[in-house]
Amino acid sequence: MMRGSVGRFLAIAFAVGAVLGLGLSAQAQTKKFKIGVIFDLTGPLAGGGSELQYLGVKIMNDYFIKQGPIEGYTIEAVYADAQSKPDVAINEAVRLMEQEKVDMIAGIYSSAQCVPIAARVEQMKKFMWMTTCVSTGVVENKHYKYVFRPQASGQQYGQTTTDMVAQIAKSHFGKEPKDMRVAIIHEDGAYGVDVGKGNVAGAKKAGMNIVLDEGYSATAPDLSALVTKLKRARPDVVFHTGYNPDISLILRQAREQGFKTGGIIGQGAGYGVYEKLAESLGGHAEYFFNTDPVSIWIANPKAIDPSLQPLIKMVGEEFDKLKPGQTIRSAHVGIGASNMYVFFTKVLPVAIKKYGGVDAEALRKAALDVDIPEGGTMLGFGVKFAPPESPIAGQNERSYPVVIQYIGDKPYVVWPKSLAQRDVVLPWPAGMTYSNK
Amino acid sequence: MQAFLEIFDIYLLEAVINGILLGGVLALLALGLNLIFGVIDVTWICYAELVMIGMYGMYFLVSTYHVPYWAAAPLCILLVAGVGALLHLVVIQPLLSAPPINQLLATGGVLFFLQSLATVCFGIDFRNLGIQLPVLGVGEMNFSYARLLAFGAALVGISAVYVFMNRTYTGTAIRAIAQDRHIMPLMGVDARRIYIITSAIGGGLAGLASCLLVLQYDVHPFVGLSFGPITFLICVLGGLGNFFGGFVAAFVFAEIISLGGLFSDLEWGYVLAFGFFILMMFIRPGGLLARRS
Repeated sequence: MMRGSVGRFLAIAFAVGAVLGLGLSAQAQTKKFKIGVIFDLTGPLAGGGSELQYLGVKIMNDYFIKQGPIEGYTIEAVYADAQSKPDVAINEAVRLMEQEKVDMIAGIYSSAQCVPIAARVEQMKKFMWMTTCVSTGVVENKHYKYVFRPQASGQQYGQTTTDMVAQIAKSHFGKEPKDMRVAIIHEDGAYGVDVGKGNVAGAKKAGMNIVLDEGYSATAPDLSALVTKLKRARPDVVFHTGYNPDISLILRQAREQGFKTGGIIGQGAGYGVYEKLAESLGGHAEYFFNTDPVSIWIANPKAIDPSLQPLIKMVGEEFDKLKPGQTIRSAHVGIGASNMYVFFTKVLPVAIKKYGGVDAEALRKAALDVDIPEGGTMLGFGVKFAPPESPIAGQNERSYPVVIQYIGDKPYVVWPKSLAQRDVVLPWPAGMTYSNK
Repeated sequence: MQAFLEIFDIYLLEAVINGILLGGVLALLALGLNLIFGVIDVTWICYAELVMIGMYGMYFLVSTYHVPYWAAAPLCILLVAGVGALLHLVVIQPLLSAPPINQLLATGGVLFFLQSLATVCFGIDFRNLGIQLPVLGVGEMNFSYARLLAFGAALVGISAVYVFMNRTYTGTAIRAIAQDRHIMPLMGVDARRIYIITSAIGGGLAGLASCLLVLQYDVHPFVGLSFGPITFLICVLGGLGNFFGGFVAAFVFAEIISLGGLFSDLEWGYVLAFGFFILMMFIRPGGLLARRS
């Protein structure tokens, strides 16, 4: 009897051991790196650029999934829809980390979502790779250890734009910068406020007159009072940061109320979705601007690592399959794709090989090791993250946006001068709906 | 004195007139919602989503099927009137005797249902009719014909509803039902029919609003978020069910937004308008034009 019980016990123990052993062996063979990607796929932000960023990230994820394991780790991506709501975004981030057990949170379009998600990711000691949102407030004075952003910051957007206007004031407007009248209008979320801060800092630095600086709600049903104030302020140039459909609304109301100016310079988000911008302007967005990282398809190929050219082509072809018939391939797609590419090629392999795994600590160390010179990414800029002691810890210190102008349904880089593909058309020529000439 | 002159310039007049025109848009939206609440005693939280359906209807008729705008508009009004009647039959009628909170939650559910359905069916793209109406210029002031049209439609709409309610047999029956929904059926009024007619008229007014709003705003599944809450507040401010009160409240609200936005930050215009609403709820909880008991 006793011998029988011992026999059964040994048999069961052997069976359990065998099952566990097989399980562990299988686990060792199929190590997985799971990415939780969050974008707004529904709600107002989806059509304002978030879906395009999502496509860029997805194209690159799919590419690496198809390529096979990276240093023995199979890539798996789980996608979540933030529905254009910060509370949903936070809940989705927590769900991805706690239930889906993702190793990393990536993506995120809206800065209003990035700020709380970054805090939560840091608290849960997970790794975060922000491909898209730009608000400086996400990282400023936070000293996060596990939050990294290869993307340019909002204040850089604002300062690049004002820098351009200050530098061309004399040559194009015939005025000293101190005589330039500039208006700054922005949606009142984290993104708009941050870019607006950059505009204010840049305008003050150049000594320009800020004749109006005002925020508005992106869901406001009426912006006519703001247009009336713009008319009264008579700015030479307007710096505008908005999503959509607020851009469409303000441009329509500005036309209807007869607002005239020297130029309206858009800064990211809705201004990066050319099709919609053109549609809201009656077919073409001639001479309108967008400040954003350069579109990977118009960046100077000679200034970019030649090994990236096949990937740029691949992203374009995949995008064309997903969204056929687009007049201009949106810069949003390239931003998402390029920033994910940097992660897959420069962070993940180093974390596995040099730091022994894919936990947040290994990924963090690998991210801090990244040192890509200018021209080393599809977006043209390099990558070097600010160290933890920096006030902007985790921010890519080598990123920068450029100013693009749409001319003849094509985008051209017009600033900075070193990268410019043609001269900026400012002030707007006579005959344009909004031109004050 | 200088500061006074700086404030009272031509732009103030432009802001006042723009406030009146915005008031026209809001009054038009409030009209149908007030009618339904006044008669059926149910608040359609999803009212702005009916407007969204109408805007999509206009977009597809005009842009995809190339139906002229003037021909598409009546079709669209009929479409949304049908949706209004259907909403009553499917959602409201079974809940007529349920507690008000259940009715409110049910129409709230319809709101999310319609938003999600539109996302699935039409995608997340912003769509634009592409019609740019001319602008009326008066000196340095310019006014949108789209808004003038909406303002005119609001005036015509409220007049038509007034005439219909006071000069027709059906209108009289609707008013009678509104006064006592339990007694009137005993006197031979077919309450079910009256409710369906009222819902169809309410839907038709949403359809009329959508025909005019599509000239001013992009269409997307969440366009109702820009109007829904503000329309509801206007109806409450004017006294739920009180057409004329809603009409006045729309203009008061719009002027506060417009002038508040001109004299301070635009966001303050909305803060002041909502602050005024809260204050009035204490002073005149029955609405701006409610009779004091």
